[in-house]
Amino acid sequence: MTQQEEYVLIDRILAGERNLYAHLVDSYKSYAFTLALKITNVRGDAEEAAQDAFIKAFHNLQGFNREAKFSTWLYRIVFNTAVSYKRKNKRQFDSIESTIIEHRQEAEGNLEKKDKSKFIAEAMRKLNDADQLALTMYYLQEFSLEEIAEVTGMQANTLKVRVHRARQRLADELTGILKQEALTL
Amino acid sequence: MKAIPENIKIKLQNYLDGKLTSVEASEIEKLISQDENIKLSFDNLRTIDAYLKKQKLVEPSKNFTERVMEGLDSYAAGRSFSLRNGIFLLVGVLVLTGLASVLISLGVFDTANSLNLNNLVSTNYIKKDLPTIPFNGKLIMNVLIMINLAIAFIVLDKAVLKPWFERRMHV
Repeated sequence: MTQQEEYVLIDRILAGERNLYAHLVDSYKSYAFTLALKITNVRGDAEEAAQDAFIKAFHNLQGFNREAKFSTWLYRIVFNTAVSYKRKNKRQFDSIESTIIEHRQEAEGNLEKKDKSKFIAEAMRKLNDADQLALTMYYLQEFSLEEIAEVTGMQANTLKVRVHRARQRLADELTGILKQEALTL
Repeated sequence: MKAIPENIKIKLQNYLDGKLTSVEASEIEKLISQDENIKLSFDNLRTIDAYLKKQKLVEPSKNFTERVMEGLDSYAAGRSFSLRNGIFLLVGVLVLTGLASVLISLGVFDTANSLNLNNLVSTNYIKKDLPTIPFNGKLIMNVLIMINLAIAFIVLDKAVLKPWFERRMHV
């Protein structure tokens, strides 16, 4: 859907054709859900937060001033809603120690690509939430750094540094894990 | 193992992103081929980059859109006053305004025209006479009644008429 087509759709929704909102939901639900999931880390919460965000967006559609892309405006709502869901339902994350134990147990077999991906996924979980989110949004390549900054409320430069730092931390982590694995083989 | 300097780490990332000039790129390539440690770090960076590039969007449940569309009405109902609550609130404001008007007409506030501070503050510490503040009790009550009436109009609009019309629209 082009931006112009999107604006026409929004105008029709505002004029009372509320069923058309389903088209907008269908277009953006995957990214909205992925974003919410990265923030809340719990599928059920992410689903609720993303739905809540779409509902809020619908009721505030009149306030969408069309200066930014609709998606940027919408994802900002998703981001804020998911953050408040996360605050509400704080959960315990895997501790670093338990992850290391898991590494050792699973390192019995071969250490090829499949395992490397598993190690990277685990290393990702050790990053703080903001770093994980920055990396995910950067690599999903839906938005420019400036747009991601607008969605998350961070400065573009801060975001760039965060992506670099998080990637480096992952690389260092992976180096450490692989070294440890080499010793146990 | 020798730690890799921070500036080299940054250059490795920029090289990975293709953001180095050709001169800088050949310098870093030379470093990667000469230093085993830097090579290992770069290989890991490249593995991570490839892994992150493979990330895909996660799909929500199948009835996601349906549930959003169902939720549109419940949100509106949850956010605004119910008609019943609106009527209660309006009646409360009007009763209060009526009571104030009755008290004024009975002359309850006619004598309330000054505030003597000596009656309010203990004279043990203050030896001098405190001033008496004059005010017009009737005028103050009239102003409060006006404010109450304005609130009543707002309540009528937001909490009674708006929910009523919204309900009629969705029937």
